[in-house]
Amino acid sequence: MIGVTRIATYVPRRRLERSVIGQTWGTRAGGGKRAVAGLDEDSLTMAVDAVLACLDGADPAELDALYFASTTSPYLEKQVASVVATAADLPRTIAIADFAGSVRAGVGALRVALDGVRAGSLRSALVAAADARLADPASELEPVLGDGAAAVIVGTERVIAELVSSASVAEEFTYFWRTDEQRTVQVAEPRFGASYGYARDVAEAVTAALRKAEVPPASVAGLALGAPDERAAAEAARRAGCDPGRQLVPSFASEVGVLGTPEPLALLARALETAAPGDFLVVAGYGEGADALVFRATDALPGGRPHPLADRLARALSVPSYGRFLRARGFVPAETAGEPVTSIIEWKELAQDVRLHGSRCEACGLVQYPQTRVCLACQARDRLVEHKLAKRGTVFTFTIDNLAPVAEHPLPMAVIDLEGGGRLYLQVTDAADGEVKVGTPVELTFRRLHEAGGNRNYFWKARPVS
Amino acid sequence: MKDQVAVIGVGCTKFGDRFERSYEELITDAAFDAYADAGIDSSEIDAAYLGTYLPGAGGGKAAVSLGDALRLYERPITRVENYCATGTDAFRNGCLAIAAGVADVVLVVGAEKLKDRGGRGIPRLGHPLLARGNTAPGLFALAANRYMHTFGIGRETLARVAVKNHHNGALNEKAHLRMEITAEQVLKAPIIAWPFGLFDCCPTTDGAAAAIICRADRARRFKKDPVFVKGVGLAVTTGRPYFDPTFDYLGFRSTQAAARQAYAMAGVAPRDIDFAEVHDCFTWTEISNIEDLGFCAKGEGGRMVEEGRTALDGDIPVNPSGGLKSFGHPIGASGVRMIYECVTQLRDEAGARQVRHPELGLAHNVGGPGAVSCVVVLGRG
Repeated sequence: MIGVTRIATYVPRRRLERSVIGQTWGTRAGGGKRAVAGLDEDSLTMAVDAVLACLDGADPAELDALYFASTTSPYLEKQVASVVATAADLPRTIAIADFAGSVRAGVGALRVALDGVRAGSLRSALVAAADARLADPASELEPVLGDGAAAVIVGTERVIAELVSSASVAEEFTYFWRTDEQRTVQVAEPRFGASYGYARDVAEAVTAALRKAEVPPASVAGLALGAPDERAAAEAARRAGCDPGRQLVPSFASEVGVLGTPEPLALLARALETAAPGDFLVVAGYGEGADALVFRATDALPGGRPHPLADRLARALSVPSYGRFLRARGFVPAETAGEPVTSIIEWKELAQDVRLHGSRCEACGLVQYPQTRVCLACQARDRLVEHKLAKRGTVFTFTIDNLAPVAEHPLPMAVIDLEGGGRLYLQVTDAADGEVKVGTPVELTFRRLHEAGGNRNYFWKARPVS
Repeated sequence: MKDQVAVIGVGCTKFGDRFERSYEELITDAAFDAYADAGIDSSEIDAAYLGTYLPGAGGGKAAVSLGDALRLYERPITRVENYCATGTDAFRNGCLAIAAGVADVVLVVGAEKLKDRGGRGIPRLGHPLLARGNTAPGLFALAANRYMHTFGIGRETLARVAVKNHHNGALNEKAHLRMEITAEQVLKAPIIAWPFGLFDCCPTTDGAAAAIICRADRARRFKKDPVFVKGVGLAVTTGRPYFDPTFDYLGFRSTQAAARQAYAMAGVAPRDIDFAEVHDCFTWTEISNIEDLGFCAKGEGGRMVEEGRTALDGDIPVNPSGGLKSFGHPIGASGVRMIYECVTQLRDEAGARQVRHPELGLAHNVGGPGAVSCVVVLGRG
């Protein structure tokens, strides 16, 4: 049996009420909220967050591939899958690739991962999809989009949703695009695109996949259709012979917005929160054609359901103004002063800074960070072994700093005692007022720390957990 | 080294926003002040030590800044940099040169011109472990918050330190911030790094101070009332306390160790000290320092301040000069400025802020925070 073994969704903690956008521009921006990646977030960091949530105790040694899918990679040249794999502390022998080009990249990468497992060349593979797409201020797309990520592990053991069939359609069609010189997503003839560039192709792929699976459209339990908007998804469902109201997995549009590349995977995760064993679920991604995959929930599903997204959505922080939204999304020029991290430091300290490995003293047992040759406690020399640190801990002490050279104040800084030993001094991110105190439980998240020398410096931060 | 070295002259510039004085001019002002106090000229100086942390524009990284400012050539001059203990460590090195017998008369200068370089305390380090967010108030605040959590004291107690030190500084014409403040002002000031508001923090200051020291057996040739170096101590602990899981954040081990060394050399106990100039870069730091220096037990520093025991008329006046809080903190200058204050007090020349007939005074710096500390005990006769 081949299929999904684990799945997780990541949505940034910050949300913007669409009414704030509407009031700013005097337009009808719709109701609800959209998720907003923070200043220190991008598709790379959100992918790491989703992957860590997805692994959640799984043995990374079984993973033979990691694929990163996004239309908004923070790098046009430099692979992101390698960063995600390293931050997740996966082995060096893993196969990696970045998928891009359109929001179809998420389902495309998933299909490649499943094919690799089916071919027997991969025991298990991880797909991390993330997007933080930018729309022009005051455009119709601006309130519609949302930021987020999803991660899926596929394999042959403890499968919760078995792959039944797949189908693809390829068609050159200009609907959404961004040239190598554009930062914001462009859209052509939205009504025409939704029908011809989206619904027609998705319905064709879904219909073909269901036919191969010998599943009548009416007996599909959930359609996880990535879509430009809810109305287009409904049209695609109808064209495929399904009842949108009954069979579409409820969209995130009103809570987080249209996620892009990770959306079909996140919708699959939502469907798997409640699906019953035996249920047929269809996942489809679009962009210059479509891919559709048919899954059947297995008897292992009740023991391996994803964490409910509602729990994450409940812990929202409000973006207080349109200006703060623009700044979070990089429209306000950020201070770039500061020294770059040299590639020599990066290479030398990869295990320490990205894999988050410290040292453990074999003489006295103390876990310490950063890595050292002489024990902090007993001064034993060269008795220290590399030690993987936990990513959960507790605030030992803290400050709320208004002086630090960062774009948003105040900045909480905290000394964190990690579970299992080791102490870190980190910026705290995504914290509500008053949330950082002595004793606050936190988890680590990989974030964009600063920019200098024309490059980004990623490092760990702490965030409060409930 | 006890009683082998004497201070025969001290000098100090007015501290503050010294936009009208260059780095070298500040050095010159302080050194000439000290020459006059000792009654010597530069030909009698055998060696010199310059304590400076951020010489920046107009000040080189080497000791040449001191040589060029004073035209003091063809003699050994050494630049000392050791975080906020820079000034006291420069003084300590001068003492070592005399005790070693390689110099008879040594000039020690601490100087810093911070107002030419924008804000300070904002390292813009590229290293991932330290980049962005690592500020001086933020680092000391980590300790303050843990301390306040552990001992249950509030910002009101910290404010007492600021009020006291501003009171003392207002009496001192060389101090940077010469105004009295109220506890209410301290508590209502904008927060810099919780729990520190603006008035919990020392200012950014320009200034220089100088001391001339010589072999104790020759001191009375220059000065009828020399002050003697009784003990010195310097201790380094980790510069990365935030990665040390064994650190309790309730005080600084470097201060405790440096004080032990200095007391042992002087053959005195903390209760023998009549007044102290301690490193009050932030209000909490003074409370912790007086515990680390042994003036009271750990956790009791706040009560000691609240009971007025560290006031000018208390049983151990702390920072009669106004401290870093009011006098200002040009980093490398501060330690030498503390020596200046100790000598002035021990000679009963401190005027309105004079402590009653002191026999032993103590100067203390700590930087890092907690990474390095230097303690000097000075006494009459």
